[in-house]
Amino acid sequence: MPRVRLLSFLLCFAPLALLAQQPTTPHDSVRGAIRTVDVRTRTLEVTTGVGFALRVVRLQVPAGVPITDRQSAQPQLIGLGALQPGDVIRAAFGGRPTGFVAYTIERVGRMEGP
Amino acid sequence: MTRAAIALVAVWGAVACRAPKPGEPLRGLSAAERAQFDSGRVVFDSVFTPEKGLGPLFNANGCKECHEDPVAGGTGDEVERHATAFHPDAVGRKCDELVGQGGFVFQNHVTPALHAALGIDSEPIPAAATAVARRRIPEIFGFGLLDAVPDSEILAYADPEDRNHDGISGRPNRFFDGRLGRFGRKALVPTLREFNDGAFGAEQGITTPAVPTEETVAGTPLPPGTDPAPDPELSDHEAELATMFVRLLAPIAQLKLPSEARHGSEVFTRIGCAQCHRPVLTTGNSPIAALRYQQVAAYTDLLLHDMGPDLGDICLALATPTEFRTEPLMGLRLKAQFLHDGRAKTPEQAIELHAGEAAGSRDRFLALSPADRAALVAFLKTL
Repeated sequence: MPRVRLLSFLLCFAPLALLAQQPTTPHDSVRGAIRTVDVRTRTLEVTTGVGFALRVVRLQVPAGVPITDRQSAQPQLIGLGALQPGDVIRAAFGGRPTGFVAYTIERVGRMEGP
Repeated sequence: MTRAAIALVAVWGAVACRAPKPGEPLRGLSAAERAQFDSGRVVFDSVFTPEKGLGPLFNANGCKECHEDPVAGGTGDEVERHATAFHPDAVGRKCDELVGQGGFVFQNHVTPALHAALGIDSEPIPAAATAVARRRIPEIFGFGLLDAVPDSEILAYADPEDRNHDGISGRPNRFFDGRLGRFGRKALVPTLREFNDGAFGAEQGITTPAVPTEETVAGTPLPPGTDPAPDPELSDHEAELATMFVRLLAPIAQLKLPSEARHGSEVFTRIGCAQCHRPVLTTGNSPIAALRYQQVAAYTDLLLHDMGPDLGDICLALATPTEFRTEPLMGLRLKAQFLHDGRAKTPEQAIELHAGEAAGSRDRFLALSPADRAALVAFLKTL
């Protein structure tokens, strides 16, 4: 009987323990214009929103997160430092206690100003 | 056929053919579309309280508080504050919409709970702002038709480099995700649904599934206990109904042109007004037959044009402080104030205040004979 209880316990809680250790699956995505890039702290601020209700999404970008430039005919990987304010990006991210963490970033265009 | 039957047919014909009055729906709606219009009007007419989700920051307690004159969908006497920071010498983006500091819409009112917590009566504008704009309330009749105009038609009128050397450029604005904008005085917002969903958030402090978070107070999160209603404060279905009401609102129909106004229409084109105030836009395909492949007497190209420094105020996305979207002139005769901030009290004053790309047309207007000028004004009063 104790073995059965132990097995039940493991079946119930082991998956949760594993989930807590692994990155959460992307729970959201954002498409917007980069407002700031801080290579030192590896953070991005992205302006997005709906209509006049604008929001800033602050993303941490751990080293190793793939950043793909899709503006050219052949998509290529680029570094965080290649991103600039005004670049339009699409990012998949998840929530952590420290804030939003990017999983993938794609540069898809640019807000061309005067 | 009896006389009564003939009279009935005649009355039916007259009703069917007459143009919609302000606030009425487009002609030719299905029963289901008409039902959505009527249900949407209920949402549009709703008055929100803090318990129902209003605020804590807001400009109005419902759509109709602002869009009320002469009927729901019209204008109002409220004036909004929009603020941004323009840095012309900056590398990269030159416009900071101050989003991290609560921008670019800075709400004029707060709920009693937020007032008690922070002691403020309105959202403070940050010192970083380089301009504060006054915005009067736009009439939104016919906006469903503007929404249905394909991007390709708007872009076809763009001439950002002025390659034809007529002094008129016409530049598209784009939302932050790169899509073409068309709604708002700076043509920021791509679609009517987003324009409305954003208005629930930014104007009324009503969260929806599309805008699930409240505004901040100049960038600072709301104090605990100041936003008692659970999010979202309006369902997606209700937000969609409100948009259907606006989408199906008929445009203000142009009046028949008496001979003087017909001449004024020719003057309008001759002096160059129609280069930006394009008389007709054509909608594309739409699931709603009344919006499909329709000619809209919009008198706009939905593009940005430089209007000169005297009218300039805020930047927004790609729009510089002096660039504004060509204001649609449909429904002009119902307006009591003109231009984005209502500073002109007559159409003539508004024309005289045009500058920048419109300077040539303005000068030609000022040089018109009294008869031609009167004809032009007579034409504008038919719109």
